[in-house]
Amino acid sequence: MKHSLIKIDDELCTGCRRCAAVCPVDAIEGKQGQPQMIHSDKCVMCGQCVQICSGYASLFEEYETPRDQKMRERHMPPAVNEPLFAAYHTGDYPKVKAVLDNQNAYTMVQCAPAVRVAIAEEFGLPLGSLVPGKLAAALRRVGFSRVYDTNFAADLTIMEEGAELVQRLTKGGTLPMFTSCCPAWVTFIETRYPELVKHLSSCKSPQQMAGTMFKTYGAQLDGVTADQVYSVAVMPCTCKKFEAERPEMNSSGYQDVDAVLTTRELAYLIKEAGIDFHSLPEESFDNPLGIYSGAGTIFGVTGGVMEAAIRTAYEMITSKKLDNIELIQVRGSQGRRQIVLDLGTMKLKTVVVSGLKHAVPILENLKKGIADFHFMEVMTCPAGCVSGGGQPKMLLPVDCLASHQRRTASTYQHDAELLVRKSHDNPAIKAIYQEFLGEPLGHKSHKLLHTHYHVSHPDH
Amino acid sequence: MKNDLNAFVAADPSKCIGCRVCEIACAVAHLDKTVKTVGSLNAPLLPRLYLVKTPETTMPVQCRHCEDAPCVKSCPVSAINRRDNKIMMAEQRCIGCKSCLLACPFGAIELIAVCPDDRSRDYNVVASKCDLCSGKLNGPACVAACPSQALRYVNIAEERKCRQLHAATKAGNFIKEFRAREG
Ligand code: SF4
Ligand code: SF4
Repeated sequence: MKHSLIKIDDELCTGCRRCAAVCPVDAIEGKQGQPQMIHSDKCVMCGQCVQICSGYASLFEEYETPRDQKMRERHMPPAVNEPLFAAYHTGDYPKVKAVLDNQNAYTMVQCAPAVRVAIAEEFGLPLGSLVPGKLAAALRRVGFSRVYDTNFAADLTIMEEGAELVQRLTKGGTLPMFTSCCPAWVTFIETRYPELVKHLSSCKSPQQMAGTMFKTYGAQLDGVTADQVYSVAVMPCTCKKFEAERPEMNSSGYQDVDAVLTTRELAYLIKEAGIDFHSLPEESFDNPLGIYSGAGTIFGVTGGVMEAAIRTAYEMITSKKLDNIELIQVRGSQGRRQIVLDLGTMKLKTVVVSGLKHAVPILENLKKGIADFHFMEVMTCPAGCVSGGGQPKMLLPVDCLASHQRRTASTYQHDAELLVRKSHDNPAIKAIYQEFLGEPLGHKSHKLLHTHYHVSHPDH
Repeated sequence: MKNDLNAFVAADPSKCIGCRVCEIACAVAHLDKTVKTVGSLNAPLLPRLYLVKTPETTMPVQCRHCEDAPCVKSCPVSAINRRDNKIMMAEQRCIGCKSCLLACPFGAIELIAVCPDDRSRDYNVVASKCDLCSGKLNGPACVAACPSQALRYVNIAEERKCRQLHAATKAGNFIKEFRAREG
């Protein structure tokens, strides 16, 4: 079900329309002072409205729907103490909880790069605290059988997407190429610019690549079958829930990702399990689908996919070593950044966009046949996934900017501290190509890791 | 005469969009520890100003720090006093009798439950109201948080000066214009 994900509680909505101001696709309709409605055909489920809303259920007012009923409608665990806000997303919490409670379930979990720089905020640690070790430990404590990582799949995405870009550049193919990691961006292109769908990379997002790998390679390693594996993704993003349920995301023969928890929902799970986050030890993610490079981790910030792709594509194309791997030019907070990369035989022109609204003029130009670049990264959320709709919500909007900046800084710090910083140098990536996938864009990769985005949405 | 009327925060209903950020900012400012995210908040939000919505107006209502404050007079145990140009509530002395709640013409006083410590199961019900964020560096939290600048910290002396200046300028201009027209 596409559009039931992001909702506005009309008992709590005061009609301030702050949500309408942040919505990148003008999906929120209503009069000032009246409860708002989300126009489901336009909504790309980014959850930015959920992040900004401060219309909350006051203790000093009475509402027709009691709190516990509201919590059930939101799929929140009953013990949660926090205030309820008008704009919210429904979740997969009860589904995942039920599976974890079942002793016989074989569960595999992946965790997006942006979660490790934000989850600690839900336990009172400073904004942007970097906690990959505690996160892995927490996932193990709540009962997942295998604690894997989306970052591994981000490295895999770079291998496939880099190869695809090189192929489109050298052998011909639709250019410019767009990244396809952000499901809200993909949904936006499909619904608003169907004529530009062919520009999207055919690569699945890291979440979906991970899901497929869990149920094929991962299952094979553990001697189980795809149907025995229950695969869960922990994401900073609300739209990832929608992505996981897309009918084309079943390369393993089953739905590749069975459930998606947001960062906030994982915090509920940890609290419900009675785990003291602060005293958790530092543990690592499981082998091999939890091993990652610095390139994989910077997927969480705007410009990260581009930087990671360049680290690999440069070496693929020129066969030379890229010495200066920190591409400061693509980092930053402006809505649109450009960088031209000298590849010897050609100059690769790239664009990085954060915030969907900044992509629109570029797409309009492209429709007129004007494009002065080869490769474009687009992230719907203002600072990339670190600012996603499923991330810890600030009580006060003034803290949003600081939270985005600190989560971003921690992401780059994590990259800088890792020994392996390029996707193609990740030993687990080398191994999976040798043992299982063959080569990037090969037959098996094509079948498992790529997809075709539809021109119009299946349930439209 | 030394002018030392109490200051207060006033809302401009023509600017207020009713987003309730002021309430949240107020509640957060009065927590005893720093809490940044919704998920790490382990207590209910207890603001000291209240968004009021009628078909005609939307604005928060809070304590005016009245000069002749009826709440001060009504309190049988002298828990409310004037201090540093503010009307201040000493919660530890409050017995929860609700006299102030009845006396306040603005409905600016609420009775809230406070626990002596985190683990304790018993609580006291005490009166609570705006203290102008006394002791906070940046002034009232609600004023700082409002996205549409609908809240203002009204300093009476400055306010009067400002209005007088405005009136004088306007009158002066009018007279100049009038003279010019009359030749
Ligand atoms: S921000 Fe929240 S309260 Fe304001 S209009 Fe949107 S949903 Fe309603
Ligand atoms: S989820 Fe995103 S696209 Fe949908 S209404 Fe909210 S802000 Fe707009």
